[in-house]
Formats: sequence, C-alpha cells, structure tokens
Amino acid sequence: MSAEYQSLPSRAGLVVVGGGVIGCSIAREAARYISGIVILEKESDVSCGTSKANNAEVHSGIGEDAGTLKQKLNVRGNQLYDEFVRGLGVELKRQGMLLVVTQRTVPVDETGGMSESEREDILTRKIPDAIVAYGEKAGIKGLRTLTRDEVFATEPNVTREAVAGVFDETYGLISPYKLTIALAEHAVINGARVFLNTEVTGFRVEDGEVKAVITDRGEIETPLVINAAGVFADEVADMAGAGGFVIHPRKGASLLFDRQVTAEYVRSSVAEFRMPGQKTTQSKGGGAMPTAEGNLQLGPTAIETGDKYDTSISAEEIEEIFERFHYLLPDFPRDALISAFSGIRAPTLEEDFVIGASEAVRGFVNVAGIQSPGLASAPAIAEMVMGILHDLGLPREPRPDFDPVRPAPPKFSELPVAERNRLIAADPRWGHVICRCETVTEMEVVNAIHAIIPATNMDAVKRRTRTGMGRCQGGFCHGRVASILARELGTPITAVTKDGESSPVFLGMAKDFLVEEKR
Amino acid sequence: MKAAERPDCVVIGAGPAGLGAALAAREAGLRHVMLVERDFELGGILPQCIHDGFGSIVFDQVLTGPQYAQRFIDRVEKSGIDIRLNTMVLEMRPDRRITAVNPGDGVFELEPAAIVLAMGCRERTRHQVMIPGYRPAGVICAGAAQRDINIDGVMPGRRVVILGSGDIGLIMARRFTLEGAEVEGVYEIMPHAGGLTRNVVQCLHDYDIPLHLSHTVTFIHGRKRVKAVTVAAVDENLKPIKDSERRVPCDSLVLSVGLIPENELSKQAGVELDAVTAGPVVDETMHTSVDGIFACGNVVGVFDLVDWVTRTAETAGRAAAEYVLEEMRKEPPIRVNPGRNVKFVIPQLVRRPERGVDFFFRVEHAEKAVRTRVLAGNEEVYSRKAKFVRPPEMVHAEVGAQAARPREVTIAVETGGKKDISSDEE
Amino acid sequence: MKSKHEFTCINCPLSCSLVLSEEDGEVLEVSGADCKVGEKYAVEEFKDPRRTLSTTVKVKGGALPLLPVVSASPIPKRLVRDAVRALAEVVLEAPVADGQVIYEDIMGTGVNVVASRTLGCEHDG
Repeated sequence: MSAEYQSLPSRAGLVVVGGGVIGCSIAREAARYISGIVILEKESDVSCGTSKANNAEVHSGIGEDAGTLKQKLNVRGNQLYDEFVRGLGVELKRQGMLLVVTQRTVPVDETGGMSESEREDILTRKIPDAIVAYGEKAGIKGLRTLTRDEVFATEPNVTREAVAGVFDETYGLISPYKLTIALAEHAVINGARVFLNTEVTGFRVEDGEVKAVITDRGEIETPLVINAAGVFADEVADMAGAGGFVIHPRKGASLLFDRQVTAEYVRSSVAEFRMPGQKTTQSKGGGAMPTAEGNLQLGPTAIETGDKYDTSISAEEIEEIFERFHYLLPDFPRDALISAFSGIRAPTLEEDFVIGASEAVRGFVNVAGIQSPGLASAPAIAEMVMGILHDLGLPREPRPDFDPVRPAPPKFSELPVAERNRLIAADPRWGHVICRCETVTEMEVVNAIHAIIPATNMDAVKRRTRTGMGRCQGGFCHGRVASILARELGTPITAVTKDGESSPVFLGMAKDFLVEEKR
Repeated sequence: MKAAERPDCVVIGAGPAGLGAALAAREAGLRHVMLVERDFELGGILPQCIHDGFGSIVFDQVLTGPQYAQRFIDRVEKSGIDIRLNTMVLEMRPDRRITAVNPGDGVFELEPAAIVLAMGCRERTRHQVMIPGYRPAGVICAGAAQRDINIDGVMPGRRVVILGSGDIGLIMARRFTLEGAEVEGVYEIMPHAGGLTRNVVQCLHDYDIPLHLSHTVTFIHGRKRVKAVTVAAVDENLKPIKDSERRVPCDSLVLSVGLIPENELSKQAGVELDAVTAGPVVDETMHTSVDGIFACGNVVGVFDLVDWVTRTAETAGRAAAEYVLEEMRKEPPIRVNPGRNVKFVIPQLVRRPERGVDFFFRVEHAEKAVRTRVLAGNEEVYSRKAKFVRPPEMVHAEVGAQAARPREVTIAVETGGKKDISSDEE
Repeated sequence: MKSKHEFTCINCPLSCSLVLSEEDGEVLEVSGADCKVGEKYAVEEFKDPRRTLSTTVKVKGGALPLLPVVSASPIPKRLVRDAVRALAEVVLEAPVADGQVIYEDIMGTGVNVVASRTLGCEHDG
C-alpha cells in the first residue's frame, strides 16, 4: 500500500525522474500506452519542488515572447486543459485575468511632449488593442479590451488610476499540488509505480544508450528515461552525460490571505500591464488572484539565488509585494495575511524550455528549464514528449484497459447535508472536525494517509486536506493531525515529521528531557 | 435530516466563558441550555493552563487553570445542561439558526431562542507579524506549545527562543525550563514586557532567563527543522537595526505575539464588530447588535484575568435567560466613548444605566498617579485613583445604578489631582 | 557582612524596584517601595521565597496522558526544580479525583502535591 516501502523493480518500460507536475503529467500520458512506468522522487511526497509553491496559474500565453517554445506550448496547453484534467477530480477554474492599463503605464513625464489627448489615446485604445492583437496572433482566444468603467465593473477594488484593460478569459487557476497528486495517482491506477524518498545517483549508459537508472535504493533497467527533475535537471542530465544546460534557480515569494476575509476581493486574476522595460524583475509581474481555494494571493517576486534549496522569504520581498500591490489595489486587506511562501523556479540561461531527446544518450529525454508558464504548458509538454517517446520506441497504440477515472476523495466541507450524514452514519470519524478553520474531518486525514500516494507527514496531509492552511495555521489542529498520523502509520508520535526526513514535529515526550538529565 | 432542535439557549464554546454563561442561563430559569464544545472535554484553554494565578476575584483564592475549570465543570455536569462535546458549529445565521456536526448526532440544525457566543480567541501566527525566513518544523505559537506539553505530553522544542513577552510566552518559558528544555531568551519588540510583572519575576527571573526588550527575530534559519534564528535590536520605530543582528542557535521558535478574538461565526451571523477589540460591540448585558445573540469572555475582547471572563459570562448568561423569559426592554443604547488614554471599553453600549454597569478597559500607554473617571454626559459618576496603569492590565470600573439617562458615557484616564467622590482606591 | 539585594515587586502594576539591605541576614532597610506591601514582599523574598509548584505527572489508562498537579501550598523556591524532577518519575493509574494527594511531603517540606483536576479513564468518553 505504501509506495515508500516497496522494493524497486528490476526493470521498467520508462523511468521518470522527478515527481513534479511535469514528471507526473508525462507519466500519466505514457500510462495510456504502457504499464510498469516508474516515477522516482527524492522528497517524501510528489509535488515537493517548484510544483508546490507557485501561483497556480494556467496562463493563456499572453505574457510570453512571440516565437518561443514557451509561448507555443502555453497556448496549446491552455487549450488542452479541460480534457487533460477530465476524470482526475481536480478542477480548473477559468475565471479569467484582467490586465489593467494605468496612468503609470505611460507616465506623463515620459511622453516626450505628446499632447494629453494623444497620451489618452495610447493608454485607452492603442495599448489595449495592441495587447489583443499580439495575443490573437499567437492563437489565444477570448481576449477583449475593456474601458475604464468596464474595468471597475469587473474588479471594483482596482486602483482609480486604471484607465483601460484587457480581459483574458481563458486564463484559469488550478491547485498545482492537487493536480500533481491526482496525475500521479491516475498513473498508479494504470499500472505506474511511484517511489518516494528515492534519489537518483547516476545512470548506466552503454554504447550511447541509456540502460539503467541508479538510485540510492538500487538500480532499475530501462530503455527510456525522462529527466523532469526541476531545479536539479541540469545535475541529473550531467549524470547521464546528456547535459549541456544550466539551471539557475530563481526564487518567487507570494503572500496568502485569509479566504474568509478576501473571498471575492478579486474575482479574476488582476495584474498591472507594464511596458517592456518597466518590469523591475524577471517575473511576468505577478498579480493579485484568488487561489484555486479562494484565498487572495499576491505575488510572486523574482530573485536570483545561488541555492536550489532557498525557499526563504526576506523582509525586503514582503515589503516589495506590499508596495507593488498597494498601487494596484490600494485598500487590500493587509491584516488578513495568513501565510507567505517562496518557491524556486528552474529557468535555464536561455530562459526557454529545454525539451528533447538527448543527442548524446539515446533513450534519455530532457524536459528542463520548465518555469512559468510550466503549469499551463504541462498538457502540451506531455503531448510533445509523447511524440518524442513514440519515436524512441514507446508503443503508439493506446492500451484498451486504460482507466480514465481517478476517484477523488470526498471533501466533507463540499458535500450536501444528506451525503455528510450518510458518511457519518457509516463512520463517525466523518463527523469529527479536527481543523476548524478549513472544516476538515478526521476521516479525510485518515483517507489521505491511506491514499494511493500516501500522505506520510504533516505537509503531505495539508496538501491533500487543507489541515493547517487556514487563519490559525495549524495552531488548533497540528497536535490532532500528528496523533492521527502516528496512529495510522503505527509509529511513535515523535517520528511524525513536517515534510519528511530531518523535520520532526516533536523532539521528545514530556518528562523525557528531565529523565535524561538525571542519567 | 432531523427537524431542528429548539433549545432556549445555545452557548458556543465551553471554556470559562461558555461554562459561566451556560450555568448562569440555567440558574436564571432556562430549561434547555445547550453547551456546544469542539473539544472532547469541557474547560477550553483552562485545562492546559496548569499554573496558578486564577480565581482571586471570583473565588477569593488562587487556583490553577484546571482547578478553576473543575469548579465550573462539576456544577455544569450536575445542572442539567445539555452538553455536546466533539461538536463543531459549521454555520450561524442572523436568524439564529445554527448548523453543527459531531460524530454521534451527525449534522444537525438548532433554532435557539438565544445564543451566547463564547468562542474565545486564537493566537497570532508568524506570518501575521511577518517574520522572514524559511518555514521549517519548530515554529509554534505559545498556546499551541502549551497544549502539546501539558495535554498531549509531547515536547515541541528542546532549545527554545521565545518571541513576545505576553503572559503565555512568559509562562511557557518556565514550563519549557521545568520540563528540562533550555530557553535561550525571551525577545520583546516593545521597550516593556507584554505580560504581568508577576510572570516576569516568577517565570523569567526565578530561572535566570534573559528578557531582551526592544528586540525581535528577523530571520528563521533551517529548511527542515529550525536551526537558528537571527535576532536584532529595534529602533524607536520598531525597525530592526542591521548592525545588531546576532544568530542564535535553537531548534524551535515559540511565538507569543498576540491573541485575536475568534469571530468568524459572529461575522456569518452579521454581528457588528469593534475595530479595536476585534470583538462584537456589546451593551452592558453583553447583547450584540443581533437580536438574541449575546457574547462574553475573550471573543468580545482579550481579557487579562479569567475572573473577568467569568464576570462577563454570568452577565451574558443571565441576560440571555431574561431575553428568552421576558423579552428585553428595548431601550435605545447609550454609546460609551473611550476618552483620554483609553484604548477600548467593554461594553461599548449601555441600555439600562439604572441597573449599574461593569466596565472593563485597557489603557493605551503606561501612566503613573492617575484617576479613572466615568462621565455620564457631563456628570461624573465614578472616579477612582490608581498608582499606575499599564496596557497589559485591564482596568475594571464598577459603576453603580444611575437614575439619569445620559446621551453618552465617556471613560477617561487622567493625571493630576482631584478629590475622590467614590470610596477608596482599588 | 553587609549586602544589598534587588527585587521587583509583583503585588501591583506599579512594579516597584526594591532594594533590600541586610547584614548577616538581618534586614536593615527596604528602599524603593511605594507602599508597605512592597516592603513586606522584599523581606519575604529575601528570607524565605516561596512558590506554588505546578507541573504534570504521567498517567496510565487516562483520558489524557498527563495529570496536572499543584502543591497544596507554596514551597521554598529553591526546591521547585528538584520537586519537579521527583514528580517526573511518578506514574499514576487513572482515574484520579480532583484534590487527590499525588505525592506526600514533597522534598521534606511537609507540603503535599495534589491533583488539580478530575481525570477519567481512557474510554469513558
């Protein structure tokens, strides 16, 4: 049952290195053709790297440079999304993005003597029209220009400095970790296996062909390897001699607000349109958006960091976000801040996706440099990679026994009363609410712990059930969740971790330190 | 689903506020009082407050938290109150309809004649005070740590740094120490301690734990588990002074950085909240802005002493009973204004000054040789000297029955002499 | 020998800083107190400082794994830590009644340590 404790198979038809959204997308797509795929993940859960801490955006592609692979896959990925998530039990909400043109898009002192009416024409007509034309050329549908009044009708909290806007209706949000978990589980339902806490240490390559993946838990023979190792993709490629690119990690910090306070504060994702050159950072500018679960989210920032593990957030970043959004949304509810997080993007020096079969090592496919819009592009990346794998020998004929459905675990808070009572009658743990902020029941935690991809620590339970994600940030539920984990996993409570090895929640039992002292 | 039950009164939360309110409502003659508690036992936060210092006003005796709770629990259990444990209220509407759930009853509806809100408060978290750094295991709020250690019997830290010198932070400094953990120090951003002097002396001085005033934590180190924190002195604007930064190795950071009244349900029911207290606006009977909904204890505003919580609870419980039994007299309310050096006053409204009123308030800043004055309109109805007032200690002003109905009441803390009109000082 | 000892008064919010002067254990003077209570407090803190001891002890088969306990009256401050260590060795069986004596004559003080709540058995609900 627990993927963690199974022994590695001696061979697999395909090994995917990295259990992020890209690796799991590719594994799920490949599972349409073969069973016995293996996903290797060095962390204690899938979706632990870039896929965990990003802004959940499924962009339309409007923010990408024309002619890049990124833009092509983003536009295509967005179009494939509804079909891609069908049967997974994870929802993409296409609530659209509002790009706001403001007075500072063309500041008065930078007009070079242009008349006020000329400036107004640029701001209210030429810029919005140009944005729409640019997007349509890339194949993006559902773009329309908005007048100032329409901007306020769409988003009443936007700055009065707004002069016009563009609404991008195919833009949506999806929980990136719920999607990744669902994809991994869907792959497993169709014969794939996921090995957590398993780190790739090398490859066996003979005569220019990949033969096996070497891990800290043993070796797996395979003719096909997908390198979807995120920020570590350059190191993994180098291990096989299939490298030649460098990942330079870039941090992105975001702030998260209490969803009870900020529900409906913005309905779509709201971003300020900046002219090329106005952007102060490498981020596409970020935005204010409701998360897939309804929390207001602001960010992200973009800061180069030399450390692939640097998920810290600095005082300056928090200040920068506050400053930035103070202009766009002057009265956003600062006091309702409940969390701040930082994720690592994995760009290459060229800033474009690196997707392709290695020329040096046959059977080795790099899927690297996947930064935003990676989540949006995932379906198209998987589609593209299937083409590459077919050329490398993956059967082209879909399996007749492919199961199109991954059953999603029920969420108490979203069920109608009759269904709630039916569940409670069957098992009273459905009536025991252990997380008050997010209304999560004991049974949902138990189900997460015994799921196809088992949640074996606090953060893994949190990603699946939302325990500890509310305004009290686990103050009420952390002890309760820890006890359930210990009970269900059959371990002492001191073995419960926040997110895997080296992250114990408790350091001993009461009296332990006193008794030790005495000895 | 079963038809809605119709108790006379539903009390939400069975901490000191809920226990006191339920008992008072029952003793005032209500037949069906339902006490709803999300935990598996009664008492709220008191069972984990194993230290002494409770009850000096209500029982004229110094008790521990569990002892204080036990006295109420023993009475509640014999009083015929309908106790629902492990029960979470999911929704409360302005018409007083409540949806709740527990493992035994499933999801059920209540249509009580009156409601008393007694949900208490929750702790401010690291993000609400915006401490930069990583998000490892080992960052925990003081009250949560107290529950871990005293109720669940697990130790969330062994080498501990405490940020914030509120009472819970001070109490936990001693508690960690007595359990054999090491408390490196308590850091307080303000130039004065946040908690009672008694706790500074008995929890820190007694154990040689340093209190670093005008200091804060500027970074949390450690990707998986806390490895260290950076601390720094702050300037007069509370901004960290870069040069003073120092790295302190530790395995946990315990936060005692404030409490927030837990009013999510109140908001659902449309109860008007006070921006300063973050709790419902109440009159002297603890009646909120929504007809038939009362509130008491820390959900109304954070009290320093549990005894005051009990006092407001008894008021609320009795008033809820009166509301149900005879419908209250609907006098237009008189507004209570915080005057000089008064941060907030509970209650914010008075309807029947002829019955006398218990006022509770906090000052904005510490002051010596002061006089608390209560003005009904222009007439002084209460005046009392105090040697000293400090923000951590709540001030209680018990104003006797007043015949007149002023347009407004003002409470102010003033300096400079003036003769007592009421009895001796407190 | 003469010496001085500093205390912070805990009896009211004024928090007077007290200085007690003594010679060979004889109190000569208390300064800094705003009232008599402060003077008395300083003398007590100097001669025989006492504290109420509160901690937990382990319980088997209880609704909770720990029972809160308290000294029936304050004990000498210097004995508190050793008393807590002694109590760390105690393991009780549930149920326990409020006020029940858990440890008699703690550290030879003549003071009993008692349960500060009622604690039922694990599955009594």
